Amino acid sequence: MSKKPAPKPSRSGATGLQNPTNPQQRTYSIPDWRAERPDFRIEQVREGEQVRYVVHGDLSAPAPPVRESKYLTREQHIELYRWMLLNRRMETALENLYKQGKVVGGVYFGLGQEACSCASAMALRKDEWLGPMIRNQGAMLVKGFSARDIMMQYMAKAGSPTFGKDASSHFGDIHERHVVSPISTLGDLIPVLTGVALGARLQGRNIAVMTWIGDGGQSTGVTYEGLNFAAVQKLGLVLFVENNIWAYSTPTDQQFLCKDLAERAIAYGIPGLIVDGTDACQVFDAAHEACERARRGEGPTLIEAKMMRMKGHAIHDAAQYVPRPLFDYWTRRDPIARFENYLVNVKKWLTADDNAKLIADVERQLEEDRDFAVNSPMPDPASTPLETWCDGCHEIKLTYDVPRYPNENKDAALKKHEAAVHLK
Amino acid sequence: MPETTYLEAIRQGIWEEMERDPAVFCIGEDIGIYGGAFKVTEGFVHRFGTERVIDTPIAESAIVGAAFGASLTGMRPVAEFQFMDFIGCAFNQIVNMVAKAHFRWGAPAPLVLRGPSGGGVHGGPFHSQNPEAYFVHTPGLKVVCPATAYDAKGLIKSAIRDNNPVVFFEHKFLYRRIKEDIPTGDFTVPLGKARIAREGKHVSVITYAAMVHTALEAAETLAKEGIELEVIDLRTLLPLDRQAIADTVKKTNRVIILHEDVRTGGIAGEVVAIINEEAFDYLDAPIVRITSKDTPVPFSPPLEEWFLPNVGDVVREAKRLVSY
Repeated sequence: MSKKPAPKPSRSGATGLQNPTNPQQRTYSIPDWRAERPDFRIEQVREGEQVRYVVHGDLSAPAPPVRESKYLTREQHIELYRWMLLNRRMETALENLYKQGKVVGGVYFGLGQEACSCASAMALRKDEWLGPMIRNQGAMLVKGFSARDIMMQYMAKAGSPTFGKDASSHFGDIHERHVVSPISTLGDLIPVLTGVALGARLQGRNIAVMTWIGDGGQSTGVTYEGLNFAAVQKLGLVLFVENNIWAYSTPTDQQFLCKDLAERAIAYGIPGLIVDGTDACQVFDAAHEACERARRGEGPTLIEAKMMRMKGHAIHDAAQYVPRPLFDYWTRRDPIARFENYLVNVKKWLTADDNAKLIADVERQLEEDRDFAVNSPMPDPASTPLETWCDGCHEIKLTYDVPRYPNENKDAALKKHEAAVHLK
Repeated sequence: MPETTYLEAIRQGIWEEMERDPAVFCIGEDIGIYGGAFKVTEGFVHRFGTERVIDTPIAESAIVGAAFGASLTGMRPVAEFQFMDFIGCAFNQIVNMVAKAHFRWGAPAPLVLRGPSGGGVHGGPFHSQNPEAYFVHTPGLKVVCPATAYDAKGLIKSAIRDNNPVVFFEHKFLYRRIKEDIPTGDFTVPLGKARIAREGKHVSVITYAAMVHTALEAAETLAKEGIELEVIDLRTLLPLDRQAIADTVKKTNRVIILHEDVRTGGIAGEVVAIINEEAFDYLDAPIVRITSKDTPVPFSPPLEEWFLPNVGDVVREAKRLVSY
């Protein structure tokens, strides 16, 4: 009697396999690298005259140890630590500039999210691209922009990367650093970075491209359209879903019903993964593996990084709606404090002295950048490039190589055809 | 010179650009094996291959976003909307991501966003629209509406070679209904320049797309009564050819602006404003707008006829202007 053939693996990268004990079911797996799996719920509750947010769940646990990285060298650990420090201290400097009245408009912070911005960006190669969101300023630093670039953006200076034409992290660089500027609407970078990978592939390269989206931002339709397109075309998009619990004032309990956003990977047919977004080693390892998949032409990966936004939506927002126990829980999980402890006390790769020198060096660099930015001029319309059209001011050049099309047929001629008019 | 339909002219233009420049590729729904809903890209996938003629999911904001992303690496995408009525699904990507990119962060977006627009084919409200005004209103874009097969080929080539995002409206009524002798081989028509479709002296009709032919038909009727219409085919709506608009007003002193788009917020208002700025003293009569009614495009033939401008409207208004 012939054996029943083994169940065919699904074409999904999320490996939906027929359940061997129950053939009417399929099972999927979403790896979860976290050392802890906190279970909490945020609810709108009426208390007397007010309605406020209340958090339910056990928030007593201390911060877990950092998970040892499989890929980072010792030097890279220290480099990563420095980027995170620069990210954090730069934002402190921005806050001070704001309080001194030197900033135009508001300031957006990635406090508590520095590991997710810096460790992920470090996994990209120099000729690969990323598209940051508003709280991923650390990623822009990793990619080669300086603190003074970002400060000048916030202060609307003539020397900012956009010459004062846009604010905050709304800038980019196509030729050198390969950074795509975000816009204010959310999810729109996802199809764009997918298109960058498409352009690269047409030029013969499978590259990794990276972008981030929040627990709030991922609700938009363009998120779905972009990620689905990347999936079906197997383009190397590494998408970090930064679940920082709060979309402005809206908690995740009012944003979606899934238990974890990584589960959405199943719906796209791609691998999903959950990491602790405050553990820089986990973030880097996840990013690295996803980038390698992308470079092998295996398509996108969805990585959900769990953390919390530790300030308000922007500087004007005191975020008093955040329940105190939740804030305290995540304060204990500060990514920089955890990583500093790991490098100084666990791995002993930095002495207390080394650490102090590193921090002082970062501060010195920031002081220089700050002074430069503060003393730089405001834009003059007469000398600012204000053309909406490019009629020769920029060169359109191929990033990688002249496209080659192995499947073309040069003998196929353009035939004359009667056009279909199905609207009679 | 071979007789070529408006549609075939567009097909030739894109094909030739793809042979000329390996950075050009096509992306859209059903453009591969099916050859496109109107068959504009028929034969393309057989010639150029599946990497270069890409069938997408039904996701217009992904089509535009991905085309833009590819253009950042130096590619020149030609993205098709199956019907330009569906361009609304990508509105945010077009006006916020693409149109503002060069101004904000120095990233030119050499995309062409093309597809069939216009009515007169009993397509109903979602297969007959003329959405050009939304995009003329957006700095950073260019907007093109060819009326002849020659211009369709020359303009699609120019649009593909242009460093800026061009929204290219192909009037579906004209796809198979007009045939012209056009030269084989490479020629381009410049963006931003109108064309005198018919020289005249009594009344100017400033128009574009399918209405150019309506105006020319009206001109034939009026000529029999000694009224010589000058017909200006705008061809590009953004940027508008201010000089051509001013020149024709200075010549005839009486103007009709004719478009198939609805009245309120249609570009006729913009042209009236330009005439006011450039040639007010040359006017001998108020400027007349002939447009579709301010409703969605109705479906049933008698209702669509009510909705659209026709030859009779142009004849009547021209006569009225001449005796003002």
